[in-house]
Amino acid sequence: MSAFILRRLIGLIPVLLGMSLLVFTLVRLIPGDPAILMLGERATPAAIERLQAQLNLDKPLFLNLAAFQHSGRVGDLVDSQFFAFLGSILRGDLGQSIFTRVDVATELAARFPATFELAVGGILVALLIGVPAGVVAAMRKNSLADVVVTSASLFGVAMPIFWLGMLLIYIFAVHLGWLPPSGRLSPGVSVPRITGFLILDSLLQGQWAAAWDAIRHLILPALALGTIPTATVARMTRGAMLEVLGQDYVRTARAKGLSTLRVTWRHALKNAMLPIITVVGLSFGSLLTGAILTETIFNWPGMGKWIYDAIGARDYPIVQGGTLFIAAIYVVINTLVDVSYAFFDPRIRYG
Amino acid sequence: MRRSVWIGALAALVMVLAFGPASASAQTLIYAQSGLPVTLDSAAAQDGNSLRPAYQITETLVGFEPGTTNLAPALAVRWEANDTSTVWTFYLREGVRFHDGTPFNAEAVKFNFDRWNDPDHPYRGEGKHFAGFEYVFGGFKGNNVLKEIEVVDEYTVRFHLTDSVGFFPAMVAAIYLQIQSPTAVMADPDRYGTPEVGSVGTGPFKFEEWVIGDRVVLRRNDDYWGEKAKVEQVVFRGIPEPTSRLAELRAGAAHIAVELSPEDYPVIQRDPNLTPVLQDGLNIGYVAIHQGHKPLDDPRVRRAIAMAIDKEAIVEAFYAGLGSPADQHVPPAMWGRSEKITDIPYDPEGARRLLAEAGYPNGFETEFWYMPVSRPYFPAPQPIAEAIASYLADVGIRVRLQTEDWGTYLSDYLEGKFPMYMLGWSPDYPDPDNYLFTFFGPRAPDALGWNDPVTQDLLIRARTAPDVAERAALYAQVQERVHETVAQIPFAHNNPLHATRRGVEGWLPSPLGASEPLQLVSVP
Repeated sequence: MSAFILRRLIGLIPVLLGMSLLVFTLVRLIPGDPAILMLGERATPAAIERLQAQLNLDKPLFLNLAAFQHSGRVGDLVDSQFFAFLGSILRGDLGQSIFTRVDVATELAARFPATFELAVGGILVALLIGVPAGVVAAMRKNSLADVVVTSASLFGVAMPIFWLGMLLIYIFAVHLGWLPPSGRLSPGVSVPRITGFLILDSLLQGQWAAAWDAIRHLILPALALGTIPTATVARMTRGAMLEVLGQDYVRTARAKGLSTLRVTWRHALKNAMLPIITVVGLSFGSLLTGAILTETIFNWPGMGKWIYDAIGARDYPIVQGGTLFIAAIYVVINTLVDVSYAFFDPRIRYG
Repeated sequence: MRRSVWIGALAALVMVLAFGPASASAQTLIYAQSGLPVTLDSAAAQDGNSLRPAYQITETLVGFEPGTTNLAPALAVRWEANDTSTVWTFYLREGVRFHDGTPFNAEAVKFNFDRWNDPDHPYRGEGKHFAGFEYVFGGFKGNNVLKEIEVVDEYTVRFHLTDSVGFFPAMVAAIYLQIQSPTAVMADPDRYGTPEVGSVGTGPFKFEEWVIGDRVVLRRNDDYWGEKAKVEQVVFRGIPEPTSRLAELRAGAAHIAVELSPEDYPVIQRDPNLTPVLQDGLNIGYVAIHQGHKPLDDPRVRRAIAMAIDKEAIVEAFYAGLGSPADQHVPPAMWGRSEKITDIPYDPEGARRLLAEAGYPNGFETEFWYMPVSRPYFPAPQPIAEAIASYLADVGIRVRLQTEDWGTYLSDYLEGKFPMYMLGWSPDYPDPDNYLFTFFGPRAPDALGWNDPVTQDLLIRARTAPDVAERAALYAQVQERVHETVAQIPFAHNNPLHATRRGVEGWLPSPLGASEPLQLVSVP
């Protein structure tokens, strides 16, 4: 097993190298450049040129043939934007934002926990609502409950998150005033940073009021973000359960006189877990990359909106660093999903 | 087991209902703007979201009377020029200290101006570009109007200029030029102004904390030289969606929300807990016509375009009663306008006649580019462009509506790629020069395909004329010239819409956008 995990982690290296080349190229294929955006309506050709030189955007992208021909030194050939970028990631430096001059790593460290908390919230919603709903639908196939669950999950998948988010804010924050409309913590509340995970940090320091404040802020965005995964999980659970419930060992368990509850939850659900785990793992992976819409509506300081805005602003270091980080997360999550298969199905072994 | 889960869920729900929204203490002012700062190092910033919080921490030499564009003493108590306006002397406020305890004096002023002016200054900070400074002074050291900055004594600083500039104090009042503590800048010039370091100045509030992606927190400076702040803390929150900013305000999670969407004006008026705040806009949105594209080089065609568009109807439809059609580029809230200009009237019949006269009885085809982002001066670029296109089609001018990514747009219009396009401006400093020199000065040949020596000469003379009345007359002439040749169609001025919670007092938003004295604000 550990050899398997090690192999997967080593496999991460070529993935990341490939990603860096791909992202570097893609982000530069978009026309426009940061110097122009930085100067805005005030841009003049001279000012743009000066700023490009200052930001090293005037260097060639991949190979500096001009400098090489001039000096004949191989070192000058790699005096280019790509090799500068590659060199700094190899040194573990993701660079600084062109606009804010903040280290990409610092900003990632601040934003990833926010994204993680929101993703966990969304997945919890999906598990707590989706799995029981799917089980109930499967147990009472073709009943009213089943129709409600299947049609609700269709509705959930098709629901525009933007609209749902606005609706939740309007009802629960503006109209009823039960929950805060947006943000991660109320102004005036602050939690000294340990891990960056607000709920965890405030619990660790015994700040119950702050923890409660953070949880209250999480509820609406987690509901909005969890809608689609909930629907997917419910449908997947229903399908997997229906298949398992028809198996011989379920019939045997029933014949032994076990209660329906025990048959369902212990015998059937555990065996139906494999496809559910896959769906949950994949959803979690995509939620972790940041949820642009949810983050925008609820003003959640996560990675999605940040990277999205950086693409619009051509803030190359953020796009590059952020995407590499996300690629790494994907590989890690997929590895964890594979490992968990072995846990739920002893027939699966990795060696 | 199942029952306990339900009880737990019920308990959670009850708790949610029992605790109302956590409210901050009454001594905290929560300000919802459309984004967090890019940086607090004011000269490296360009946007109101950066400059507004920065302005609370660091101050300019010349300020404004609150809520106006009239110059007023700030860190300089008075200033004077020599006869030719080539040497300006500023007398500084005495006994002022930066938040780090170091003294504010002429050396500190010189340090700041040198840092901005000299691209090779040792404490400039890596990757920092002082675009606002570059813009105001027309370039950097060696290429701009600043010849030398002289420290006369502890509290007197003298600027020697290469040319006479009658409005130099207005330039110094530009919001980018906030005096930073030299000690703080020198400690870490690269990271100065970032969330980790913040900024250090002389202002009514001190930097306390910047939570990345979330908020910037400032605390009252109890040693402030002027009127001390009424609130203990200011929290700036960055909320990009105008509807979300309004939701925060309505939910009581913010005291002030700026730049709201005009469609929400009736909602704000109806809500008894809110007070709408309207402001005279200093912005201008315009429709540019590039004369490098045929048949737009013909002044009759350009006039026909202006006559074909019913500005008033479009402004009425898309500015929710907050905008006003523009007849010239300098807005009514600013001086330097021409009394002689009457707007080209909406006259489709006349437009068709002019087109026929110019040899296009059946109209012609061209491209019309609209901005991919909304700005105060064009709150809804696409629908406005569609409306303009349909008015043009009415007289036979068939335009293909086009847009592209904002970054590309900003470089393409300067390369003359667009025959017709929308753009606009919000001023850096309160002077007509900031509008007219920008549009019709050295950039006009690129942006408009219009190289008019008469206008260029008027603009240069207006820059150096010592007397305000004379300058005003020259700017009026510039606008009359633009009006006659229809070099560009001034479209609308928009008055931004803000709102406060009821009971918030003393808030005077600046017509210039970001220079607000928040020390005067009290919250209920």
